[in-house]
Amino acid sequence: MNSIKGSCSLIASLNKALLRRYDHITYLRPTLLNGNVSVVLPAAQLIHTTPNLQLFWERHRKGGYNRNVKRVSQKELILNGLKELKKEILLWKEEVKEKLECDPILVYRPGETDVMWQFTEENDLENWKVTSDRDHNEGQSFCSFDISPAGHGLFSGNVQSKVPIDGRVKRAGYCNLQSLRARKSFKRDTYWDWTPYNMLVIKLRGDGRSYLLNIASEGLYDVWWNDMFHYVLYTRGGPHWQIAKIPFSKFFLSSKGRVQDKQAPLPLNRISSFGVSVAGRGGHDGPFNLEIDYIGLEFDPVHTEEFAYEMYKQPKYTVAQ
Amino acid sequence: MHFLRNQLSKLGRQSLILSERYYPIRYDSNTSTDEKKTDDKNKNFVFEKQLTLQSSFENITEKNRDTYLAMVDVFLDRDVHRRNHVEFIYAALKHMETFGVHRDVEVYKALMNVMPKEKFIPRNMFQAEFMHYPKQQQCIIDLLEQMEDNGVMPDFEMQAILLNTFGRRGHPTIKYMRMMYWMPKFKNQSPWLLPNPVPNDALELAKMAVKRMCTVDLHSNVDVYHTNEVESAIDDTWIVSGMSPEQMQLLAQHSPEKSLRIEGPHLIWLRNQSLNYFVLKGDGKEYPMSTDDDEDMDDVSNLTFNKYGWATSKQKQVDVKRSVHEQRDGVIYAVCATGTSTKDSLLSWIRLLEKNGNPCLGQIPVLFKFRSNVAENLLVTSS
Repeated sequence: MNSIKGSCSLIASLNKALLRRYDHITYLRPTLLNGNVSVVLPAAQLIHTTPNLQLFWERHRKGGYNRNVKRVSQKELILNGLKELKKEILLWKEEVKEKLECDPILVYRPGETDVMWQFTEENDLENWKVTSDRDHNEGQSFCSFDISPAGHGLFSGNVQSKVPIDGRVKRAGYCNLQSLRARKSFKRDTYWDWTPYNMLVIKLRGDGRSYLLNIASEGLYDVWWNDMFHYVLYTRGGPHWQIAKIPFSKFFLSSKGRVQDKQAPLPLNRISSFGVSVAGRGGHDGPFNLEIDYIGLEFDPVHTEEFAYEMYKQPKYTVAQ
Repeated sequence: MHFLRNQLSKLGRQSLILSERYYPIRYDSNTSTDEKKTDDKNKNFVFEKQLTLQSSFENITEKNRDTYLAMVDVFLDRDVHRRNHVEFIYAALKHMETFGVHRDVEVYKALMNVMPKEKFIPRNMFQAEFMHYPKQQQCIIDLLEQMEDNGVMPDFEMQAILLNTFGRRGHPTIKYMRMMYWMPKFKNQSPWLLPNPVPNDALELAKMAVKRMCTVDLHSNVDVYHTNEVESAIDDTWIVSGMSPEQMQLLAQHSPEKSLRIEGPHLIWLRNQSLNYFVLKGDGKEYPMSTDDDEDMDDVSNLTFNKYGWATSKQKQVDVKRSVHEQRDGVIYAVCATGTSTKDSLLSWIRLLEKNGNPCLGQIPVLFKFRSNVAENLLVTSS
């Protein structure tokens, strides 16, 4: 307590005010007080000058955000697993068939776009998820991904960067569209291999906003779990379609939203998921609208750049080497 | 100026009560009425002090760049030791937006200059490694992050300030270097460059938006009309219309039996400003499907001599190239933005288009297909 008092007079004065009430509150349960004091009590616990930082290792892949997921009994797990068995065996059948056929694409013709995802009907949206800050009570943005009246995928919603007053959240205002992780049958994780390509092609109709493209390349250990490569998707807006071609060499590495000092080109053989996000930062609060026809890949022999950013060695002890 | 002085003197006193220290105030007024008012305020202040955190920034009535910088000056002159400067910077950062200075690099520099020079520079490797003066360093890191959030790029004077305050091993200096590496890379990356900040005038914005939408066809003309050119117009407003010669040609070919529709309002964003626009659309033209596509070239079960190569018996025809305005869900004939976004102004737009090179619009029926415009604020429910 002393250190807090010494370091920050404002927090100390607030703490003092709360401690004075502390004697009365400790032995009263919030339920006894019709929930009135429950507003004060969590606030009393939340006053820390530094957030709880777990430096050494991470327990959850979701960074603690799956804490509220309801846990089910073993029996229920087995029953659910059996229900999914049929679908998984079908997937497995396809995999075996593909292996036996042994007919890979040998020539990737330049200028030809291989469509990875196209959105024309409800089934195409199955492997995609939308998230926003409201999902965890950390903001007021909301979004959806469905089929537009014209018959294409429509990622729309409203971003609001108003920060909820709970003393914990510092910034808010994002909506995110992400594909489910690449996987094989029986829920085995795998990676997409995009090595024959060097361009990402998206046919879209936007609203003039800039969106962020996210290509996740999840690693084995916790430090690499959140590795993600980003680039900006500038949209023109207006009623016409636009085809955005973005070379993979332009994507830069970041982890948990922080651009990394030590950069590396996107490992095209280890792509775990793809996503698009939009933020309300800097006064961009309001509705957004992104219609996507398809997301494809292309090989362009003219583009020879491997990585667009400098790779020189940083001076010692300035960045993690 | 006199008003400002009064304001600041009041503030000075309030902050004195808050910090419970007495330092000479820079601006002082000796009018008795003022004395009385501040006394009343101080009483309230003492009473509320325990529960609320109130900073002197909130009490300024006239909020602009000058008063903000004057507040920084008051803080600097108050005390030689500049006690509580970290708290002051945090309070100042919090109120930047209300003073409208959150995009001003000079103001950020003024705040950074509140930190004393030389004191926080680490003198050995242990100090450098273990974050020498962590509160102060974190404070300036937060300041730099706020700049980043608001899209403000630091300059080289800021580098000098940081080097003199935290040295080259300081974390804020390293953060500054990162910003100076990444921010210029994306500053002018957009293919549709816009001024920063975009103008506040709706007409200028509309011109930019229509021009931007028209970049799809480089021959497009962007015209600014006024509704008073039409006799029957009720609204008195401007119309920014975008149409290319190709679209005019397509419109001339449009059959008068089929109706056109005005769709909207759709939204377009120009940086942080948004604008409604409308589209003049017609049904898509049906093209005869070419029969070539039906034939499977990989099917070798029925080989003929002329299946491949030059000897093919297929008749060669010139294919009509589909224009960029002919989309799958309709043909786009024109886009516009009007000052009022009302049906009347859109009707004037159609009349003006008719007058300016599209006489066929006189015969074609035009329908309105409006989307219900839900107010933005209603969409967001308070949680």
